[in-house]
Amino acid sequence: MPPTLKFVIRRLLAIPLTLLVITIVLYGIVMLAPIEARVSLYEPRGGKSRNPEALRQHIIKEYGLNDPYPIQYARWAFRLLQGDWGWSPLLRTDVLEALVTRTPATVELTLYSVLLLVPLGLASGVVAGWRPGRPADHGFRLIAFVATSIPPFILGLMLLGIFYVGLQWFPPGRIDIADSFVVTSPSFNTITGLLTIDGLLNGRLDITLNAFRHLALPAITLSLAHWATLGRVTRAAIIEERTKEYITAARGRGLPRQTVVWRHALRNAMIPGLNSTALSAASLIMGVFVVEIVFGFPGVSELATLSWVYTPDAAAAMGFAIYSVLLVLPLMFVFDVIQGIVDPRIREGIAER
Amino acid sequence: MKSLPRFFSRIQNLLAVAIIVLYIFVAIAAPRLAPPQDPENPSPFRVASVATTTSRHIPLPPAPDLPLGTTPGRLDVFYTLVWGTRSALRFGLTVALTTACVGIAIGAVSAYIGGPVNRLTLRITDTFLTFPVIAGAALFRLVLYPVDQQVSMTPIQSLLSSLGMEPVMLTLILFSWMPYARMVNAEIAKLKQVAYVQAARSVGAGHLRLILRHLLPNAISPAVVLVGRDIGGMVILQAAFTFIGIGGGSPWGYLLAVGRDWIIGPSASLLKYWWVYLPVTLALIFFGIGWNLLADGLNSALNPHRSHQRLW
Repeated sequence: MPPTLKFVIRRLLAIPLTLLVITIVLYGIVMLAPIEARVSLYEPRGGKSRNPEALRQHIIKEYGLNDPYPIQYARWAFRLLQGDWGWSPLLRTDVLEALVTRTPATVELTLYSVLLLVPLGLASGVVAGWRPGRPADHGFRLIAFVATSIPPFILGLMLLGIFYVGLQWFPPGRIDIADSFVVTSPSFNTITGLLTIDGLLNGRLDITLNAFRHLALPAITLSLAHWATLGRVTRAAIIEERTKEYITAARGRGLPRQTVVWRHALRNAMIPGLNSTALSAASLIMGVFVVEIVFGFPGVSELATLSWVYTPDAAAAMGFAIYSVLLVLPLMFVFDVIQGIVDPRIREGIAER
Repeated sequence: MKSLPRFFSRIQNLLAVAIIVLYIFVAIAAPRLAPPQDPENPSPFRVASVATTTSRHIPLPPAPDLPLGTTPGRLDVFYTLVWGTRSALRFGLTVALTTACVGIAIGAVSAYIGGPVNRLTLRITDTFLTFPVIAGAALFRLVLYPVDQQVSMTPIQSLLSSLGMEPVMLTLILFSWMPYARMVNAEIAKLKQVAYVQAARSVGAGHLRLILRHLLPNAISPAVVLVGRDIGGMVILQAAFTFIGIGGGSPWGYLLAVGRDWIIGPSASLLKYWWVYLPVTLALIFFGIGWNLLADGLNSALNPHRSHQRLW
């Protein structure tokens, strides 16, 4: 088996393990609550009962909520695996279904933000770090400092205030109302669920452009702080790399500077940056949720906002918690695999990260 | 202490200390700067009583007795700005220090034991890194608050509520200790092999003494830097959570949430109603900047070999 494939499989196997630990912890937290709170995790489909007390007793008996923790956990985890994530009385749907229908919006926002921040972060780190102390370096550090100082939710507010209220260039939400009718009409084939791509596939360029207009502000808000962090880490790495002997040797052999910088130095310098981005994947996803809420972007976070507006909707809150881990893991996986492809030492498991 | 004059010779470190001292001053002098109605039990909010015919929902502009005007609903902006400082400092220090203690303890003990135990701990630490903090808040609310009043609290619930733990605080502590554990773990794993630790062990120093006296003091400096950064970061997260409506109890965040419609609503104008958002926003941003700069200065003072990694 080629080492790259082996590496990918090893990383993939870590995913179920992570989910196991997370669900054990989450159900453990729920076990701390009184049994009456746990009952709402098992709310039956269809909603209200005329006799809540009888229903409660029924659920406690039916699902064995007085059993010891491991047995309850195992039973609950098995239901999760079968796709039964519970019923949300607030949304009046199955939790898993509600999560899945909202996923494309979240994925689209995450995707474009990552596509924006990773190349820009690496590139600006290299440009700034190759000649530290030059104007480009000072400029980068100043902008990065400002970018990390502004909390994303405030940046989002300001951008909305300027570009939506003031200039009316970029609206909130996911798509204009007129276009939303087109998207939900039967003549529009939903293939990927990502509006920007579906618009192209259906030959409706206007839909794609409209979706991009709605994506622009949230994606920028989300990327800015992570871009600055990635750029900083890459800059520090490049400063270390550029004085190493292989760089001097490559320059001495007469390779053009651009080749040395972008092919040799960057290859080594991108590892710490990618690693730190992988480690902050959870905070990136959290940023996605915050930005979704600020911009009224109808993604997965809707379940969370609904579940804490009124009484706690246990099934929705729990589903949201597990699902958010499911969103973080693939993102982490992608960054890990890129690291493995770039650096054979990580792939072979030699380098401790 | 040769590093102290060097620390203060950098202008950004001076600036950081100045900003933080200013916040601490405002927090201490809060009862003077903005006298509360009930000095025994001051609330971070005050409804301004003004005789005017304008609707309650329209923010009032700054006036002599209302230095920064009010939000819609007549909340005194200046008053909350001042009392919010106290709440922010308390929250940031509590959360960052508790998180650091938890993380350092886990990292140090597990590195000291080493072997398979340590590998398992590190795996679990990495698992926690995949959990977005925001998802915990809703769940913890479920745990902390009884569904209805007739239900009695479990022992854990009463313990948490007597400690004044509210869901966002608990979530932040429970899901941000991992960087501390990883850092301290890496440092101690290295130090364990160094001669002086071996020497201390060979003269019969106990486990606790080895960890507290010989290992931690030399392994803790990266964690100290992170605490500095986290104090600002946690307060900003708390404000964000309060703003989007998860709770967290940040007075600053609440002010922004109340003023939201006048920042991005239909009749909003960033220039006309600047006092609704600008003072609070600046207070939050400079709170973050102050602690970030301090952490950065500490970093170059404590870990000089990493000074090229500094923020500024």
